[in-house]
Amino acid sequence: MKPAKGKLCSMERKFVYEFQAGSRCLELTVPLLFPVRENPDHLHGRLVLLHNLPCFIEEDLKRALKQFIQEETIKDYDMEADSALEAVKCTEGSSEKLAQAWTEAYTKTTLEYARPEESSWDEDFADVYHDLIHSPASETLLNLEHNYFVSISELISERDVELKKLRERQAAEMNKVMQELGKTLTDQDINLVAAQHFESQQVLENKWANELKQVTTIQKQEYQEWVIKLHQDLKNPNITLSDEIIVQPSQLREPVDARGRIYEEQQQLEESFTIHLGAQLKTMHNLRLLRADMLDFCKHQRNRHSGMKLHRLQTALSLYSSSLCGLVLLVDNRINSYSGIKRDFATVCQECADFHFPQLQEQLEVVQQVVLYARAQSSRKWKLQQESVSRNEEEEEKSKNSDLNQSNMLPGEFYITRHSNLSEIHVVFHLCVDDNVRSGNMTARDPAIMGLRNILKVCCTHDITTITLPLLLVHAMSEEMTIPWCLKRAELVFKCVKGFMMEMASWDGGVSRTVQFLVPQCISEEMFYQLSNMLPQIFRVSSTLTLTSKR
Amino acid sequence: MFPLKDAEMGAFTFFASALPHDVCGSNGLPLTPNSIKILGRFQFLKTMTHPRLCQYIDISRGKHERLVVVAEHYEKNLETLLREQKPISGLKILQIAYEVLQGLEYMNKHGMAHRALAPHNICMDREGHVKLAKFGLYHMTAHGLDVDFPIGYPSYLAPEVIAQGIGKPSDHTQSEKPVPSGPKSDVWSLGIILFELCVGRKLFQSLDISERLKLILTLGYVDDIMTVLAEEHGCLDIIKDLPENALTLLMKCLTFQPSKRPTAAELLCASLFSEMSPLYSPFCKPRSLFSPSLRCADLTLPEDINLLCKDEDTDYLAERSVEEVYYLWCLAGGDLEKELINKEIIRSKPPVCTLPNFLFEDGESFGQRRDRSSLFDDTTVTLSLCQLRNRLKDVPGEAFYPLLEDDQSNLPHSGSANELSAAATLPLIIRERDTEYQLNRIILFDRLLKAYPYKKNQIWKEARVDVPPLVRGMAWAALLGVEGAIQDRYDAIDKDTPIPTDRQIEVDIPRCHQYDELLSSPEGHAKFRCVLKAWVVSHPDLVYWQGLDSLCAPFLYLNFNNEALAYACMSAFIPKYLYNFFLKDNSHVIQEYLTVFSQMIAFHDPELSNHLNEIGFIPDLYAIPWFLTMFTHVFPLHKIFHLWDTLLLGNSSFPFCIGVAILQQLRDRLLANGFNECILLFSDLPEIDIERCVHESINLFCWTPKSATYRQHAQLSKHTTESNGGSRAASHISSDYQDLPKTDLAREPIRLIDLKSEVSPRISAEDLIDLCELTGSGHYKTPTKKTKSSKPKLLVVDIRNSEDFNRGHIPGSINIPFASAFTAEGDLVQGTATATLQSFKGRVIVIVGHMHHIAEFAAHLVKVGYPRVCILDGGINKMKPTGLLTVLSPQI
Repeated sequence: MKPAKGKLCSMERKFVYEFQAGSRCLELTVPLLFPVRENPDHLHGRLVLLHNLPCFIEEDLKRALKQFIQEETIKDYDMEADSALEAVKCTEGSSEKLAQAWTEAYTKTTLEYARPEESSWDEDFADVYHDLIHSPASETLLNLEHNYFVSISELISERDVELKKLRERQAAEMNKVMQELGKTLTDQDINLVAAQHFESQQVLENKWANELKQVTTIQKQEYQEWVIKLHQDLKNPNITLSDEIIVQPSQLREPVDARGRIYEEQQQLEESFTIHLGAQLKTMHNLRLLRADMLDFCKHQRNRHSGMKLHRLQTALSLYSSSLCGLVLLVDNRINSYSGIKRDFATVCQECADFHFPQLQEQLEVVQQVVLYARAQSSRKWKLQQESVSRNEEEEEKSKNSDLNQSNMLPGEFYITRHSNLSEIHVVFHLCVDDNVRSGNMTARDPAIMGLRNILKVCCTHDITTITLPLLLVHAMSEEMTIPWCLKRAELVFKCVKGFMMEMASWDGGVSRTVQFLVPQCISEEMFYQLSNMLPQIFRVSSTLTLTSKR
Repeated sequence: MFPLKDAEMGAFTFFASALPHDVCGSNGLPLTPNSIKILGRFQFLKTMTHPRLCQYIDISRGKHERLVVVAEHYEKNLETLLREQKPISGLKILQIAYEVLQGLEYMNKHGMAHRALAPHNICMDREGHVKLAKFGLYHMTAHGLDVDFPIGYPSYLAPEVIAQGIGKPSDHTQSEKPVPSGPKSDVWSLGIILFELCVGRKLFQSLDISERLKLILTLGYVDDIMTVLAEEHGCLDIIKDLPENALTLLMKCLTFQPSKRPTAAELLCASLFSEMSPLYSPFCKPRSLFSPSLRCADLTLPEDINLLCKDEDTDYLAERSVEEVYYLWCLAGGDLEKELINKEIIRSKPPVCTLPNFLFEDGESFGQRRDRSSLFDDTTVTLSLCQLRNRLKDVPGEAFYPLLEDDQSNLPHSGSANELSAAATLPLIIRERDTEYQLNRIILFDRLLKAYPYKKNQIWKEARVDVPPLVRGMAWAALLGVEGAIQDRYDAIDKDTPIPTDRQIEVDIPRCHQYDELLSSPEGHAKFRCVLKAWVVSHPDLVYWQGLDSLCAPFLYLNFNNEALAYACMSAFIPKYLYNFFLKDNSHVIQEYLTVFSQMIAFHDPELSNHLNEIGFIPDLYAIPWFLTMFTHVFPLHKIFHLWDTLLLGNSSFPFCIGVAILQQLRDRLLANGFNECILLFSDLPEIDIERCVHESINLFCWTPKSATYRQHAQLSKHTTESNGGSRAASHISSDYQDLPKTDLAREPIRLIDLKSEVSPRISAEDLIDLCELTGSGHYKTPTKKTKSSKPKLLVVDIRNSEDFNRGHIPGSINIPFASAFTAEGDLVQGTATATLQSFKGRVIVIVGHMHHIAEFAAHLVKVGYPRVCILDGGINKMKPTGLLTVLSPQI
């Protein structure tokens, strides 16, 4: 029965029990593995059964067995504890280290010992805003926001006009110059003019960008101050809302644009489904298939004034609540807003000042920092693992490759931005995809799909209850995306999302959600209905509830 | 559980540590969230009942791995005593120490250590007795493994606890288990606390955490810990003046070496408590319902019974158990999270503010700020009972002590009783949420169950109204007739030795009702394993079929802390409803069952039956999991409970009616669809409205003649004496057809192949006589409506030729000779007799005649859409010996 040193490892000990049956003296020896995991009652029952023990010793045996186990367990504990204390005594500085570890654990995890929290402006403002928007003052608040929005859009249209004018002038000038080409001017001169034009365009754009930024910053500051003041005023019952803010009608009307939008809206196709997921316990979810542009969910509809305010109110009410709306945007591996959908999105973001969160550009800068930090972390961890495990040259090479672009993203990774100024969206997931999404043989193991899964997971942990994602994992159609390609891709995404949603039930205990699948505008109506037929086959669509009773 | 008395209920909350992203368990399934593990382990704590421990009541899981624990609570604790800043007398110290040790000893006996012993966790009740709080935190978190925060408080940690380190792996790659603390570490903590009480101030207050811990570790180098501590805090004089007993106690507790430190049990026996111990009688747990010893053994009544009802304004609610009060508190609108939010214990940030910035492909997130609201705050919030008391203020005292006379009609009905009977007509869902109603039901059931088995009949009667969810486990056991020393019987079964079925059980358990927190916890899996193995081992003639796990689930869920009862209920349930379904070769049983089922479909819904037969969608394709698991495989637990509340009251043929009722809910979709769609529909059964289903199946059951569901392979009557005796036989719903005494007129077994060939069920001559009330008065007059209300009216159709018919027939029957009944297209030939038949469409139609034609005739009737068609078993010949056949009066 030599105790093993160190860890409380499992060891066998013999339980000896003697008893008398008539004149005979019997001995029962049971090898027991310590620490004992079985229920002693079960063990006892088994012993009696196995050895066919007489019933008159049962009670005594049970008592003896329990006592034996208890005593031996305490011995183990003691030994373990003594050796731990001994170890502290022997090794120099270990008590220091232990105390350090304990202190860290306490200060990091318990309120009593944690460092007091520095109150953050963001969260205080969040509380104040949440209170206000759920009070009668919400009307005023929204009007104010709208007025700010109007002034920004005026500014933007002014910019657009000026830029347009500049471009027209430059085009005319260029035309004139081109005619002179070969006569009085050389290629070099033309290039010079072109460069000049470009420069002046840049200057103008920069000027406007600066102005916009300045205005939005001022607006944001004003707005926040005003909100805080309003909140304080409201707390004081004597003061009634004196300065009602009335919506200023926007001076500019854009008839062309408005008509275009109406036309677009007619083009928007939409179909909704209610599904129940789960084998026995079912959770209800809403699904929607839409043919629309991704950014339609972000843009404010300028022409329909009443409708826009409605959206605003809905979005504003839920901003600090636990039912957020998210959108998945597919981006390339660079974190910026220079090209493609990233640029379009940035433009939409600028249309209205964000009174709660930093501007998109600032958020992206933070993300870049975080990505660098994350890469450093993971490579450090990887190196640590390499040190402990035997070195593998191939893998090392792989890591070198990934070292090349520390600041870039890999497919399947995504960054998150927060917005309060978009029409129906609070959170945007920028999911990195590569050219693989265009290929016809994408599998469920594709990084983009894994990214979707992680996005849904974040939705669970952060109460995002409505999520909009591009069904075909592309924003625009191209030549190679044939009908079979679309059907195959849609089936893959539907099935994967269904799987993830079922998984989600185990993450969050079954919260009802809305998932919106978006297909690009340019898809044919026929195609759309093919897809909308596919959806109920993959998700089991629940039957309609009949309210008329039978018989 | 103890009555509430002057205790209060308190709640505290903490977060379980989050799982590492995307790691799978060894079985390839996703890891169980830590909060579920904790929830599973917590259940055992509910059984820890001791006068020195605060009773644990409930645990609930909130969003994002939050747990809220509800336990008995007292506002007063040693901390408040310490705050008074004066030393406490030696005697009082000894009393506190003795009582704490009693609690610790009880815990140690159950293999638990406290680890979080501190003055504010030692509560004092009104009489100044000690109640240990938060004693289960260390147990439920697997020795602190499942939470991020360390358990225990720096000043009170024993040196060996500090030396063993936190043991929490800083990152999840190395999953090294922490070394659990032994029970002796609590003795050290107690020593420190007693020391503080003696000197009247807290120790180590001037030091920060790491200095405190280092100081405790260095105490091992000194000879006299007491003196060093006293000097450190400048209170040497007080220590010197302590009485001998207290000093010895402190010395013993503050022994540095754990091996030399005594355990709680040893200390209790020490001589220094010799004066104390006689004051306390040893605690023995109140006996439960199914204990082998006499429940009333220790019952002592006062000389004068009137003494019991002396005090007029007793708080009746406080006499109810803590568990019941908490349950009612929840019903009366109690919301744990809201209480905690009001007290600012839960302060969650808006989720939009805590989003991460960036995520790797493997799901690791970055840029998320540490949320301060996730920090551990161990404040306990008292749950106010005001709302509940207010709600119940009009409930008269009698409601708390209902009289259990057999004949209830004699009782004077008070106003509230009328109100209750009004409430009884409300939908079940509403009744289950009604505080007053549940209070009355719970008390009634509680008292009835205490009188079980003597009050068995009344339990049956009350269960027919409804079963209160809180006592459902026990009520079901009573309905199933569980009796005897179930614990001993269960213990005697070998559940540890490996058997070949283990592998299958292991595969099935992680797939059985896993949406439920309790059943998906590792603790739940272990219990599942034990109960299933116990059943398999103890039924050598039967085998484990997949589905047994689902069948076990409701019993285990209801009796989570009583495996023996779960096992006993399951063992009683299976022979009653699933007799021989778990034979190694069960095909003949199942085949017969399914055939009877398809006859029942034809009996109740010919149109549906015709359609299903046409597309070849036979019950074998969908109904086996229904019946083999008694619908536990298809429904979530909360629906199973409502379904089984009724099922348990019915006999073994009731499941047929449930099956038909489910089909009826899906009727429109089934009729509209072909084979493939039907298969798909059943592969993922749509939501079923269970209350409607229950009502419908009761209705169907009442329309079904008893002998129609006769099965040759059903359980033969074993205890006829029991079912005949007493008033249970009066309820025809609960008594089985097989239980009735056999006569010549009963149904006789027929071959499966014959049974399959018949579309409509057979009924026995006996049933026919009974239904037509042939023995006495005319059969259409039903003056004794009360007793026969559920019996269907019926029409007997005699299909012999008219000569035979005229020679003698069943009174009231009509004659439609088989040969001329149907046209070539299969329609009924018009005539006076068929007109009568048509007018009876919808009632039970019994086809009588010679055996070889009646089945065919019935099939024809079903084909043209006649519901409730059945045939007489044995044909008219069966009726001949009864002498009930009459000849037509000549005057017609």
